[in-house]
Amino acid sequence: MEKCGLYLGCNIPFKAPDIEQSLRQVFPPLGVEVVDLPGASCCPAWGTAPSFDIDTWLALSARNIALAEKQGVDVMTGCNSCFGVLSEAKHVIDASAAKKDVVNEKLATIDSAYAGSSKIYHIGHILHEKIGTEKIKKNLRYSLDGLTAAVQPGCHLLWPTKSMEVTEENPFFPTMLSDLCGALGLRAPTYSNIEACCGMGAMRSTDQEKSFILAKEKLVRMKEELNPDMIVTTCSSCYLQLDGAQKIFRDRGEIDFEIPVFYYTQLLALCMGADPAEVACISDTPRAAIIAEIQSEQRRMK
Amino acid sequence: MPTVNLTQMNTHEIIQKVVEFGGDGVVKCIQCGACASICPVSHAGFPLFCKQLIRKVQTGYEEEILDDPSTWACVACNRCVEVCPRGVNPTEVIFAFRRIQANELAISTSSLMSQSNLYEKGHAVLSGESKKLRVKVGLPENPPTSVNDEKAQKEIQTLLDNSPMADLGIF
Repeated sequence: MEKCGLYLGCNIPFKAPDIEQSLRQVFPPLGVEVVDLPGASCCPAWGTAPSFDIDTWLALSARNIALAEKQGVDVMTGCNSCFGVLSEAKHVIDASAAKKDVVNEKLATIDSAYAGSSKIYHIGHILHEKIGTEKIKKNLRYSLDGLTAAVQPGCHLLWPTKSMEVTEENPFFPTMLSDLCGALGLRAPTYSNIEACCGMGAMRSTDQEKSFILAKEKLVRMKEELNPDMIVTTCSSCYLQLDGAQKIFRDRGEIDFEIPVFYYTQLLALCMGADPAEVACISDTPRAAIIAEIQSEQRRMK
Repeated sequence: MPTVNLTQMNTHEIIQKVVEFGGDGVVKCIQCGACASICPVSHAGFPLFCKQLIRKVQTGYEEEILDDPSTWACVACNRCVEVCPRGVNPTEVIFAFRRIQANELAISTSSLMSQSNLYEKGHAVLSGESKKLRVKVGLPENPPTSVNDEKAQKEIQTLLDNSPMADLGIF
């Protein structure tokens, strides 16, 4: 079985560990063994070392990547920001022998070394490119046939293509997540701001209300154009924003609808028969009704 | 035909600083606006989005924009890098300016918290609820990361102690 190093980051293990559970549960039956990277730290987030000093950022990222190199595995991340930071760091280090020397000089002080032998993948890329939709289909116990999803790939999964192992044919019109939803039987049509930012992360911590302008515009267009049964994302930050901000908008009386939000592997795990109490039990916007529908008797595959 | 002399702009001190901090594409920008057209920071209404920042830098403003938090709203989505026809890499210009701001401590208190979290536990983002949530979903209280690993924390601290960040007194 192929092995892949699971790089957790911060948001998934600390704020949405049900997403971590879903990652741990879906990959082995699909033929990918999940290898932990003990001692991994923050990627480091864009607002930390990358905003202060380039070489410090590269050394911290390289230390994380080196943990995978030591085990001879590639890295897969569930968090789009981590994916962006690690991919960019690798891209910068691998492009320059001098930079690699600087990084390894720093790593030598902590008995670590960066070789450049492990690739950086997002879990969406592993699912779409390495596992493939056909294999996913063969492992399902419930079908989402007839239901509609509004998909949110998230920024760092799409750009910059120059530093990514796997890219969309046109990142401004992404299709991979729609394909992955299609494998579950979902209808996942495109909509007018499918590629738009949800406003989470640095923007929300800088000015919450400005960040909410983007989140609300996204939610309203999803509702008006698709009237979806659920939102499906491959970004843990988008997940937290679209789930959490949606409740705030309802509480303020700014929207009058409710769309449950899933991280893709949560939905996949449910379709594979996982226990919702483990893989999809932490959210601000209620999901109980749609989860009951997903795992209902009439959706069980023959 | 009148032309813009891009090399002439290099005389501004702030341009030199931006180049030094990693934003060397700043001198190539012709203000076409491709970046601004797809920038989330611009769409959300922050005044100093990519194109504006670059223009301010090119024309020698520094004091006037040093405390503007717009640059910290950039999520590093890199749409601008993808569409820029001049190879400016606007994200890198924004981050270079952030580094200048950070080294002047023109940053928010919430950002300072992230730096000390990173230094103490190796994670910028932590949550007081995390242990309870993890147990609830059937996972161990702590993930297998630096959060509960003193050796890993010491490694992070060594890298940070030996970096220019240590001189800022933020840990």
